[in-house]
Amino acid sequence: MSIFKQLQAVIAATLKVPPEKITEATVNEDLAAWDSLGHVNLMIALEQSFDIFLDVEDFPELTSVPVIMRYLQEHDIK
Amino acid sequence: MAKAKFSFDDLLLIGTRAELRAIIATSRISFSLTEAQRLVARIQTFEPPAHTLRLAIAHSYTSELLDPWLSLAAALQGVDLHTYHAPYGMTVQLAEENSALVKHKPDITLLMLQREDLHPDLHKPLAGFSTAEQEALRADILKRIGGIVERIRRYDVGQIVLTLLPALQGPGLGLYDAQAERSETMWWAGLKAAIGNLLRDSFQASLFLDLDEVLKQLGRTSFFDYRLWYSARYPFKSEAAREIARHIVDLGVVLKFPKAKLIVLDADNTLWGGIIGEDGIDGIALGPDYPGNTFLQFQRRLLDYQQRGFILALCSKNNPADVDQVLKQHPHQLLRDEHFAARRVNWLPKPDNLVSLAEELNLGLDSFIFVDDSDHECAAVRQRLPQVEVVQTPSRPIDIPGCLEQVSRLEVLSLTAEDMVKTEMYAQERRRREMRQQGETGGDGMSDYLTSLGMKMQVSFNMPAHLARLSQMTLKTNQFNLTTHRYDERQMQEFISGADWLVADFSLTDVFGHSGIAGLAIIHLGSDQLASLDTFLMSCRVIGRLAESAFLRCLLSHLSEQGFTELSAQYLPTPKNELAKTFLSDQGFELRADGSYHCSLSGAASLPGVALPIAVLVEI
Repeated sequence: MSIFKQLQAVIAATLKVPPEKITEATVNEDLAAWDSLGHVNLMIALEQSFDIFLDVEDFPELTSVPVIMRYLQEHDIK
Repeated sequence: MAKAKFSFDDLLLIGTRAELRAIIATSRISFSLTEAQRLVARIQTFEPPAHTLRLAIAHSYTSELLDPWLSLAAALQGVDLHTYHAPYGMTVQLAEENSALVKHKPDITLLMLQREDLHPDLHKPLAGFSTAEQEALRADILKRIGGIVERIRRYDVGQIVLTLLPALQGPGLGLYDAQAERSETMWWAGLKAAIGNLLRDSFQASLFLDLDEVLKQLGRTSFFDYRLWYSARYPFKSEAAREIARHIVDLGVVLKFPKAKLIVLDADNTLWGGIIGEDGIDGIALGPDYPGNTFLQFQRRLLDYQQRGFILALCSKNNPADVDQVLKQHPHQLLRDEHFAARRVNWLPKPDNLVSLAEELNLGLDSFIFVDDSDHECAAVRQRLPQVEVVQTPSRPIDIPGCLEQVSRLEVLSLTAEDMVKTEMYAQERRRREMRQQGETGGDGMSDYLTSLGMKMQVSFNMPAHLARLSQMTLKTNQFNLTTHRYDERQMQEFISGADWLVADFSLTDVFGHSGIAGLAIIHLGSDQLASLDTFLMSCRVIGRLAESAFLRCLLSHLSEQGFTELSAQYLPTPKNELAKTFLSDQGFELRADGSYHCSLSGAASLPGVALPIAVLVEI
């Protein structure tokens, strides 16, 4: 599965939104469920799903699908 | 035998909540957030939950992120959970008429507070206060907590559960703290005990849920996610969130599900390792060495459950003499004959034995927890008696001592004096039955038997000290119960203090011992000299001794003395209270066309003449 597909599934499950609402260009403001609490949940889900460790400093940066994709690629997640 | 090692994907193949709970309890499997959500989705395809639980959370740190874990715990238990999170940081103010929290009509109101919320001085090092100052601080905090709970208690918010977030770091004085004069650890231990005492003695339906126990279980590094704490005010790692959510839902299960009362235990490979009929008394595993020490520890734990008010029974396919030999002679056996309220050691099918135990002990089968190592026996009981909760003894001995730890219905929210000596009371009852049987075979009548018991009944009116027990009886009594109205402690308090209500209870002593408080009547005192019986119930352990007649007669004569002219009553049938069906007509009540029963209190005609073998003493 491509990184985007995996990410789409994680975001959809965590924020309880239909996967088709999440595109490669989605940013947090596009989804009502991606509020501050949803964001923390998403950070936890990203760590557990992709087996990575996020720094507190990363949390406020990772607020859109393109940024998260770039972050995952930079950290060699496939 | 249960499989010991499970992967997450294996869980998705399991078809019942009970099996899932059992596997999760022993397999130490950990879930990611998305896995938890997938499991919840899977469980939602099972049959719908049988019970609803309304939870309100007031919090001074982020609580919303507990939701996926609360959903998981609720799904596993078969609870339809509705959670309301109060606005962040508000605690006391939110308990107001028409506040969203009160309108949510919670069964449980959970307070998730930080230690520092209790007093501004808790931001400073405790060791900086003299012991006298520490003492004063504690008193001040208790007053504040009392104020908070008192204020919330005014509204119908269900069971109040107070939690404090454990300390983020170890004690201020480090390794030396444990023996320091101004030890932080000791001070908190003292405060927690005082909070527990305060809630128990002063507030009904309130509980201090000590999250330090979860911290101990997991360790501080597995409990706290410091990144989430400092960046989002959310403290828990997933494992801690899951465990805390489980405890919260456990409380809901205890409140909403049928009460568990009896633990029915298999013997071979449950109370000891091996098979007594084959291995003999010297061959079974029970003692200081592995694996016998795991069974010993399990027996030790079973005695703890007895202290919580659960009674024990034995149900084993064996020759009675073999089991008897272990109970009487094995040097390491902790559970002896007197610890079991009843025994079935024979070769009959276990479901048959459970049915006959239910009859003997006057308990409903839905109050049974059945513990057995055999796949076959567990399946037979699940299939024939689905109302019995089945716990399969784990296949690995090291898992056995903890195998009941995650059975929610074995938690209790209050303890009465009756609970702590319950098995002894049932053992007395067993001796009474034996005496009665001797009487029957010897040709003596039932009345001779009852007379020989030398029964004395103590009746009390409006006794606040009995509150917890009286509420507990309305919640637990199913069989001899005319109306099956359930009342929590708060409602019971209103009856006791209300001028137009009479709350009467009785306890019974005889040559074998004391029953504890075993019967309750709640009577509405109408302004027109007409009284009506709202509740009349009796604990099953005193059934068959004419106590109900003696109690009712005492009430009738009391009401008559108070100038009441009539007592009306109702029988509301349930699947379980057949036993009480003819009670009112047997006692001379007149059945009217509308289904209500009436008893005239004017004159002596109301008091039947037959003498009862019970001496009644009234205490007002």
